Amino acid sequence: MSLSGNDPRQPSSAKPYKPQPVHPDNLPVDYSGFIAIIFGVAGVMFRYKLGSWLALIFCAQSLANMRNLETDLKQISTGFMFAVMGMVTNYLSPARAAVKT
Amino acid sequence: MANPRSSFLLSPRGDTLLYLIALLSIFSLLLQHISTAATADSHFEGFDAEDEIEDDSLLLQSSLSDLPRRSPPPSTTLTTSSDPESHHGPPNPTSPDSSMPSDSDLPRKPSTSFDYWDEDEFEGFPAEVTPPEVTKDTEPTTPADGSVTAESDETAKVSEPVSFTKRIRSYTIEITCVSFLIMFTINFFTGRKENETLALAWAARFASRDTIFDKNFSLLGVGEGDDSPLLLKEGQNVFKFYASGRRFCQGLLATMELKSRHDLIARLYNMIVPCQDEITFEVYMNEDSMDHVVFALAKRKAAKAMQKEVVDLQRFANLMPSGPNGRKWVADELTAITESKEVAGDLITETVLDQVFGEKAFEKFGKWFISMHFSDQHQSTHRKMLVLKFAIPDANHMAEMTRLVALVPYYIDLIGRYKLSSQARSKTEAARSKVAQEVYKELQNARQEALQRKKAERRKMMEEAESKLNAEALRKREAKERARQLKKAMPKIKMSRGA
Repeated sequence: MSLSGNDPRQPSSAKPYKPQPVHPDNLPVDYSGFIAIIFGVAGVMFRYKLGSWLALIFCAQSLANMRNLETDLKQISTGFMFAVMGMVTNYLSPARAAVKT
Repeated sequence: MANPRSSFLLSPRGDTLLYLIALLSIFSLLLQHISTAATADSHFEGFDAEDEIEDDSLLLQSSLSDLPRRSPPPSTTLTTSSDPESHHGPPNPTSPDSSMPSDSDLPRKPSTSFDYWDEDEFEGFPAEVTPPEVTKDTEPTTPADGSVTAESDETAKVSEPVSFTKRIRSYTIEITCVSFLIMFTINFFTGRKENETLALAWAARFASRDTIFDKNFSLLGVGEGDDSPLLLKEGQNVFKFYASGRRFCQGLLATMELKSRHDLIARLYNMIVPCQDEITFEVYMNEDSMDHVVFALAKRKAAKAMQKEVVDLQRFANLMPSGPNGRKWVADELTAITESKEVAGDLITETVLDQVFGEKAFEKFGKWFISMHFSDQHQSTHRKMLVLKFAIPDANHMAEMTRLVALVPYYIDLIGRYKLSSQARSKTEAARSKVAQEVYKELQNARQEALQRKKAERRKMMEEAESKLNAEALRKREAKERARQLKKAMPKIKMSRGA
């Protein structure tokens, strides 16, 4: 269903691809990184094991959905740090308490 | 090449079933954990409170300290203690017996030792004995040192199967989460592969040699040179395809947004809220080869939403409830949004109706059509643009969208050659100048406001700085004053010391 018989191609007018710069505010929000931080903080504050584990899972999701390295990695590393901190407080401190008693 | 493996692991039907099962199992595990965690917590709470009471009772009744709290007494005492009971006559064995089955994990002998005592006096005592036993069972859950495990071994001998299941149960969170993480990782790689195969299948179908895009564009792919990659990958589920070198247009950018197959959580979410693989073609038209055209076509509901949300449609176009009289028109599910009836009538040609949008053809191809939107007033970097949005069928049925993809070059030619009639043109020009004036006014207002705000800010800053300066000067003066007074005071002290 082409309108014309002749070749529509025009090599002379070809322009190479230029990626359009994306404004940092227009980037999609990284919800999973945000949730990871919330769960991580909850896991540390309330010594809630499940919170730390969920933080770790959402970290993994955020890592899987990462688009550009620099901006996303900051949030992910924050969430990851909270998750690890929660793990340490949850699993290492009860052992110390058990030694004391 | 990857087909045999992927079909074994993830044939589309069995795939979703597998994930559904995984989801169910995760939820059941979670529920189980929550219930067990709740009961365990109650034990611990009770333990803390009753421990103190127990201590009190131990102080009061030293004889009670003989009670087997930690270690079970030898079984021989069981038989001997039961003997005197039978001699002594009026026992009420019902109450100890009834208390026993209620706590199945209790070792048996506390009940026997109670038989010596008056039941009423020590009511509720057996309940106090239970907590230590329970804690011993749960203690091994924490990575404990040797002393605790040695102690718990004794109880473990008595009630081994119970403690074993409990130990597993107490690790439910860890087991669930670790297995979920493993599943997530596996799914990440398989899902990524799936998305890549789908995108490559599309590219092979429409952008390889002697296919529709190769025949229409002289430059294909995102790089320069002949063997440049066709697709650009952005993230794990977005692929871009670029083409250029054709009459009437500067270039074409197709963005494939596939489902988040690599993300297990998104995948589970999409089971509840299904979504499609979509492809959006953006054709950047040459400035001189697109007349005043604002036109969109979409399914009924989507069209209404578009008319409200998309700025240029909102400004220039209206919903067109029915086609021109005495003509075949698009299928019933579709609604056009257009600036004028003339444009709509000219853009929906017989050929297009026959191929895609007519009642008959749309039944077959309609499920892959989402929307199209042609406008010379787009609100992005490029003003004259054609945007066509389609759904992508799975890799084996890619041919089904051939006719839809063929719409792209067709409309580039049609719109590139299209000229409005003078009547319509005067109308559209009036509308554009009106809108332009409004925009200009708004801009002016905004600029003025910004200027005023800046002025006010500057004034505020000046005032603040002045007041700061004043305050500083004041402070300095005060400090000087104080120093002077101190100097004055000093000799006095010396004098008093000397005296």
